[in-house]
Amino acid sequence: MDIAARGVSRRFGSVQALAEVTLAIRSGEFVTLIGPSGCGKTTLLKIIGGLVAADTGEILIGGRRVAGPGRERSMVFQDFALLPWATVKRNVEFGLLLAGVGREEREAAALRYIAKVGLAGFEDAYPGQLSGGMQQRVGLARALAVNPAILLMDEPFASIDEQTRRLFQDDLLALWSDERKTVVFVTHSMEEAIYLSDRVIVLSPRPGRVHEVLDVALPRPRDAADVRASVEFTRLVDGLWKILRKLQ
Amino acid sequence: MGASERRLVLGFRVASLVAFLLLWEWAARARISFNFPGPWPTVLALLDLVRGGGLLSATATSALSLALGFGTALIVGIPLGLVMGVVRPVGRVARVYCDLLIALPTAALIPLVILTFGINVVSSAAIVFVFSAPFIIMNAYGGVRDVRPRLVEMARSFNVSPLRLFTLIVVPSALPMILSGVRYGLSRAFVGLIIAELLLSPFGLGRLIMVSRSMFEHDRMFAAVLWTVLLAVGALALVSRLETRLMRWRT
Repeated sequence: MDIAARGVSRRFGSVQALAEVTLAIRSGEFVTLIGPSGCGKTTLLKIIGGLVAADTGEILIGGRRVAGPGRERSMVFQDFALLPWATVKRNVEFGLLLAGVGREEREAAALRYIAKVGLAGFEDAYPGQLSGGMQQRVGLARALAVNPAILLMDEPFASIDEQTRRLFQDDLLALWSDERKTVVFVTHSMEEAIYLSDRVIVLSPRPGRVHEVLDVALPRPRDAADVRASVEFTRLVDGLWKILRKLQ
Repeated sequence: MGASERRLVLGFRVASLVAFLLLWEWAARARISFNFPGPWPTVLALLDLVRGGGLLSATATSALSLALGFGTALIVGIPLGLVMGVVRPVGRVARVYCDLLIALPTAALIPLVILTFGINVVSSAAIVFVFSAPFIIMNAYGGVRDVRPRLVEMARSFNVSPLRLFTLIVVPSALPMILSGVRYGLSRAFVGLIIAELLLSPFGLGRLIMVSRSMFEHDRMFAAVLWTVLLAVGALALVSRLETRLMRWRT
C-alpha cells in the first residue's frame, strides 16, 4: 500500500516539529527517514501511524485519508514496548486479540510469526528473560502478526548491539522481500539507512522539512551481494554524511 | 535465588528466632518486671487456651471483624484507587482525603466510630477499614500512575478500546503496586483490629488480652499476644505467596 503525506505540519507548544512535509512512498518500498535530532522524524512516523494528529495537511494510505491507527499499519518501537507480564506468545497475539481474532487462529498466527523471526522455542518465555535483540524480534513478530501492508519502525535497532543489529537487519530484509510490505524506517545510523533502503529521506530540523531524497540503487539481496564491502556503499554513506553534516 | 542462598536465608531465620527466644528467656529470668512470663510458660498457656476453646472463639470473632473491614477495604479501595488514577480530577480530589487519613492518628477516630456504630463487630470492622483502606487506595492509584506511556501508545497503535486499555494494560501494570498495597493494608488492618478491640470491644482477641491482664494471668495475656502475632505473620505470608505467584514473570 502506498503512503502520501501532503503539507503535513505539527507544532508542539512553541516548537514547530514539522512544516509542510510532502512526500510519497510507493507500495512495497523500503524508505528510511533520517535527520538530526529535532527534525521530527519520529513525529512524522507517528502521524503516519495515526498516533499523533497533524495540525494541517493529510496522510493518505492507499489513497484514503488517515484519521487514526488502522489495521493496515503496525508499529515497531525503539524500546520494544512489550508487556512484561505476558509470555512471548501472548505478546505476539496482542494485536490480533485487539482485532477480535479468535483464540485458535490467534495462536496459530503467533506461532507462525514467532518462528518466522527466529524465536521458535521461546513461545513461553517472558520478555525479561530475553536479550534486547530477541525482545525486538518479539516486537517485530507482534507487528507482522496482524498482517499489515505497512510496517512503521521507530529506531527499532537503536538499543541493540552492533553484531546483533547486523544479523537482524539481514533478517528484516529477508522478511520484507518475502512479505512485500511497505516499510517506513526511522534511524539515525547512516550505514543502516543506506544498507536497508530503496530511498533515504533526509529531514532538516526546526522546523522539520524534507531536505533531500537519496535513491539507493544497490543490488538486492544485499547480504548476498556483500554490499557493505562495495565502493558504491561507502560512497553513498559518505554522501549522506556530507548532507547531514551541513544540517547539524 | 540459588539453593545455597536459600539455605543461608533459612539459617538466618532460625538463628534470629533462637536469639529472640533466648533474649525473651533472659528477660523473664532477669525479673525486669514482676511476673514477666518466659517463652515456655507462654506456650503452655497458649495450648491451654486452645484446649479451653476460649482462644478459638475469640479468634473467630476477631477474624470476622477483620474479614469484614479488610474485605470492604479491598472491594472499595482497589476500584477507587484505579478510578482515581484513570480519571485524574477524581484522583486529585480524593488523594487529599487519603493523605489526611494516613497522616491522622487514626486511633483518634475510634470514639467517633463508637458513637456512630455502637460497640459491636461492625464498629471494629469500621476501624479496620479506616486503618487499611487509605494504603490500598493510594497504592492502586500510584500503580495506575506508573503505567508506562509507551505501552499505552503501543496498544493505541493496535486501535485499543478504552475498556480494553484498562483491562489489558492499566490493571496488569498496576498489579505489583496493588498487591504491595494489599500486603501493607493487611498489616495495618491487624493494627486497627487490635487497637479497636483493646479500646472498645467486649469480645475478640483484644478482650482476651485485656481480661487476662486484669486477672493478672500474664502468661495467658502473652499467649494471646503471641497468637495474634502468629496470625498476622501467617496472613501476611499468604499474601506474599500470592504476590510471587501472580508475578512469576518478574524472575
